[in-house]
Amino acid sequence: MTMERARLLSVGTSNPPDYYTQQDIIDRYRVANPAVRSMFRASHIKGRYLVLPPRDDEGRPTESQAQLLEKHRRWSLTLGAAAIEKALAGTGLTTADIDYLCCVTSTGFMLPGLTAMFIRHLGFRVDCSRADIVGMGCNAGLNGLNPVVSWAQSNPGKNALMVCCEINSALYVYDDSIDTGVVNSLFGDGCAAVLVRADETDEPAFAPRVLGFESHLIPDAWDAMIYRWQEAHGKFSFGLARDVPYVLGLHADIPVTDLLHRHGLHVRDISHWLVHSGGKKVIDAIKYTVGITAHDVRHTTGVLADYGNLGSGSFLFSLQRLLDERVVRRGDYGVMMTMGPGSTVETALLRW
Amino acid sequence: MNAETVRYEERGEVAHVTLLRDRIDMQLVRELTAVCNHLEDDSATKVVVFRGAGGVFCRGIDYADFKPDQPVDIHGFGKWEKMCVRIERLRKVTVSVLEGAVVGGGVQLALVTDARVMAPDATLQLDEVHHGFLPGMATYRLAKYVGLGHAKRLVMRCPVVTADEALRLGLVDRVTADVDAATDAVIAEFGPTHVVAVTLARRLLNESYEFSYEDAIGHFLAAQHRSISQTAFLETLRKKGGE
Repeated sequence: MTMERARLLSVGTSNPPDYYTQQDIIDRYRVANPAVRSMFRASHIKGRYLVLPPRDDEGRPTESQAQLLEKHRRWSLTLGAAAIEKALAGTGLTTADIDYLCCVTSTGFMLPGLTAMFIRHLGFRVDCSRADIVGMGCNAGLNGLNPVVSWAQSNPGKNALMVCCEINSALYVYDDSIDTGVVNSLFGDGCAAVLVRADETDEPAFAPRVLGFESHLIPDAWDAMIYRWQEAHGKFSFGLARDVPYVLGLHADIPVTDLLHRHGLHVRDISHWLVHSGGKKVIDAIKYTVGITAHDVRHTTGVLADYGNLGSGSFLFSLQRLLDERVVRRGDYGVMMTMGPGSTVETALLRW
Repeated sequence: MNAETVRYEERGEVAHVTLLRDRIDMQLVRELTAVCNHLEDDSATKVVVFRGAGGVFCRGIDYADFKPDQPVDIHGFGKWEKMCVRIERLRKVTVSVLEGAVVGGGVQLALVTDARVMAPDATLQLDEVHHGFLPGMATYRLAKYVGLGHAKRLVMRCPVVTADEALRLGLVDRVTADVDAATDAVIAEFGPTHVVAVTLARRLLNESYEFSYEDAIGHFLAAQHRSISQTAFLETLRKKGGE
């Protein structure tokens, strides 16, 4: 008996209610540093959904590390619930039908983790298997999907659900410096859920099979993206090295080539590219290294423009937009690609 | 390479692609696509030369491929354009040698290559509009070479363009009776072919009418970062550092 490949059956996404243009943020926090102001005004992000805190008399956000962690917990539950509801809508399933739950987050640490919280609050069964992928960054959606797909293929007919919850506003550190400006002008809040199942029978559902994964770590760039404690702020803070987008781009074709060759394919055979919306530079670098066009990454740049960098679930927002376009045909191949701390490039091959 | 409409030969670093049929039909499109696959996947050559056989480059579309009593089919035109863009984006330098008639799709084939050498008695013509259809994506590429005014004249009035005029318009790079020597000279001008740098440069040039400066500067920096990370540039630094 040949093993049935797991399929991505449905996607759901959610964001917090408040939307801010880049100018809104500059005004709100009275950003004075001209270099930081110009970072916000770069044209590639129009606006972002964010959960922003009250301000002090100077206009600065006032949130302790404890409040940031609580924001992550509370909004992960709210947005996670909404994304899960949308992913399951129309499938005939409820959370009680889910047999394996994987939660992905890098924007707050909690123990017990998100999976335990979701089971407690959202109607999942207490015997639902679970895994929490914590602290792996923007690439983590594919690091989570890999074991989810393996689990689904080992348990044909059972339902697996992956939920990426990134409340990036819970990483907010404000000091008018370039370092925090890079982060504060880039990341947005959002959750995405995807239902995965390997059916024993060949049902007619039109959904992509996941054919394989390929990873590539760049050990020399291990500290190019790093989240660490800042004694001066009494907070954790995330930092991005200046050239990391280009370094990631330079290595992006290695896992893509390996993944495609393993399946007897070439870049020209790929109809759909679902690349993490990491930022304008890294998207450009991937275009000119892998040899793909602005059209190929239209959803990646579109999601970046409308949401900013949503972290681990970002590529699922692109998948949602691709599905909404209704241009995919049976037999088409797609590549999903996420990049993040490590530094790393993760890839997966899809076929509809 | 097993093909009826195309002859494929490799001599050193140069691949020679000869169109054995002077009209474009679906078999030619399929076999040129197979040539592109071979060039990308299995060929160590750095330069590709396209030319016709029997003193004619290409007379354009083969009307025998269409039957007036059959339903309209746009699919074949799509396949042809897809093949053209494959040639335009090959990770090799491309040269076309234009002899005799260069008509319709033949002109477009010339436009997607990186350099064009033309015989003095050869002529170019985009004759499609006079026959009631469109000259493919030449409508997209031509104005970038000659400007919108000349492009409108060439596409809407379908004049026969002499080699001298083609040279004046910038449609071709060299006009000479000895096209073989000129082709060798053009290949020599490309110098040591640093594939990454030369193909990234070509892509940025092809895209130069498409993007705003804000987008284009990002593309340039990404492409430049990739170029200066290659061994070719490091070797240049070593050599220049020793001077």
